[in-house]
Amino acid sequence: MIALLRIGLAALFLMVAVTVQTSVLSNIAVAGVTCDLVLIVVIALALSRGPEWGAIAGFTGGLLLDVVPPADHTAGRWALALAIAGYVAGLIRRETSTGPVGPLIVAATVVLGATLSLFIYCATGSLLHDPSVDWGEFGVRLGIAAGYDVVGAIVVIPLVMWIMGRVVAARERRRVLP
Amino acid sequence: MLKDLGSPTARSAFRSAGEAPLRSAGTPSSVRRRRTVLVLVILACFTLIVLDARRSAGSPVDPLRQAAASVFGPLESTASSARQPVDNLRDRFAEMDRLKAENEKLKSENEKLHQDLNTTDYARNRAAELDRLLKLAPAYAMTPARVIGIGSAQSFNHTVTIDAGTADGVHVDMTVLNGDGLVGRVVRTTQATATVLLIGDRNSTVGGRLNAAMALGFVSGRGEVGGTLDYKLVDLKARPKVGDRIVTWGSSGNAPYVPGVPIGVVTSVTPNQGALGSTATVKPYVDPTRIDTVGVVTGPPARTPRTQLKPSTTPGSAPKGGGN
Repeated sequence: MIALLRIGLAALFLMVAVTVQTSVLSNIAVAGVTCDLVLIVVIALALSRGPEWGAIAGFTGGLLLDVVPPADHTAGRWALALAIAGYVAGLIRRETSTGPVGPLIVAATVVLGATLSLFIYCATGSLLHDPSVDWGEFGVRLGIAAGYDVVGAIVVIPLVMWIMGRVVAARERRRVLP
Repeated sequence: MLKDLGSPTARSAFRSAGEAPLRSAGTPSSVRRRRTVLVLVILACFTLIVLDARRSAGSPVDPLRQAAASVFGPLESTASSARQPVDNLRDRFAEMDRLKAENEKLKSENEKLHQDLNTTDYARNRAAELDRLLKLAPAYAMTPARVIGIGSAQSFNHTVTIDAGTADGVHVDMTVLNGDGLVGRVVRTTQATATVLLIGDRNSTVGGRLNAAMALGFVSGRGEVGGTLDYKLVDLKARPKVGDRIVTWGSSGNAPYVPGVPIGVVTSVTPNQGALGSTATVKPYVDPTRIDTVGVVTGPPARTPRTQLKPSTTPGSAPKGGGN
């Protein structure tokens, strides 16, 4: 029951993130680069639930980014990029898992996730001979995106992790009480 | 199955046991399961990519796109109309005002579009007959639409979603323009939304005609955020000049581009290294970051009307649309 609720919450977060990223955040883009809200939510889920959740949430969120208009690239590219970024973020959580994740580690994870996902996205595009991938612009866009993502993460990650933590706490309470 | 993955108690139990090193937090079976999940997800991604990469034969992912668009189209539409109140709180309570203003804006834009189409100086350097022919071209029927989603620069695609789809008569390969000039063409449609490929995308090439010299050429996108375009002339001897304006020369059957829509203005010309001809840099009239209301040309005439030109008709007295 709680597991279902948790999955439902994660799906809700991803859907809201996709909608907001494509239609609201694109209006406050910096030099065309928007905040990767979906990536941030995936990292938040990975940090609170571990690598499997990161990979599956990344796959789902990326797939949504691939098929929701105005996407016009080959489906599966963002899915692959975000799945791997989510998995790696989950591993970071594991490796430093003594207490709550510190803000510096969260920021580093977001930057790492942005780098990894954008690189995988561009690399698959190059492999598929997509003419729109421009490696000359890669560095600039990655820099802006990473900075913007950290700003977004300051707001979003604590929120998502707090809500996911509440759901776990409810389960723990239920298990302990009887 | 996923019920106790990474829960704090499980982790702290392993930590306090003191035997699990930090690198492999978890039992061997959980590590194995974690890797299985990763491998499965990556395989799923590759399957998707391979399935969708063959564009020619109709992708099996298309039903998924349709479904996603039918769910997220209304969501995006709602979300992008909810951003208006952020700019102007009053509008939240005065929806009528907003609609009125939008209506007025559309009307003036429509007028301007008509004027642009009829009185573009595309034909200024032509013989008088051709000039009249151009003015004879009836105005195109437009379906107005709003931009409800914009592709981000990270994905290197320059595409937008508009809130008109097949239900409004919008189909693939229709011209999209706004009051300033050419925006792009429709590449995907669903019931209520359509995806527009902007002319600034690297996948986009538009036939463009130099106003001053009437020379033909091709305008292709550079994939830059500002939408800067490259212009290559077919005729190697023709030289574009800074300040020359470029309009579409149209495609057969008016798809994907109708003729005579202004594209942009030449800002610099560089001779091609080691070859004849030159490449011009074109600044588009449409700022791709500020597209809001656009018109989709849904009802162009089936073919350009070819009325016989009467020698008695004096130049400048075209029966329709004599704007200048």
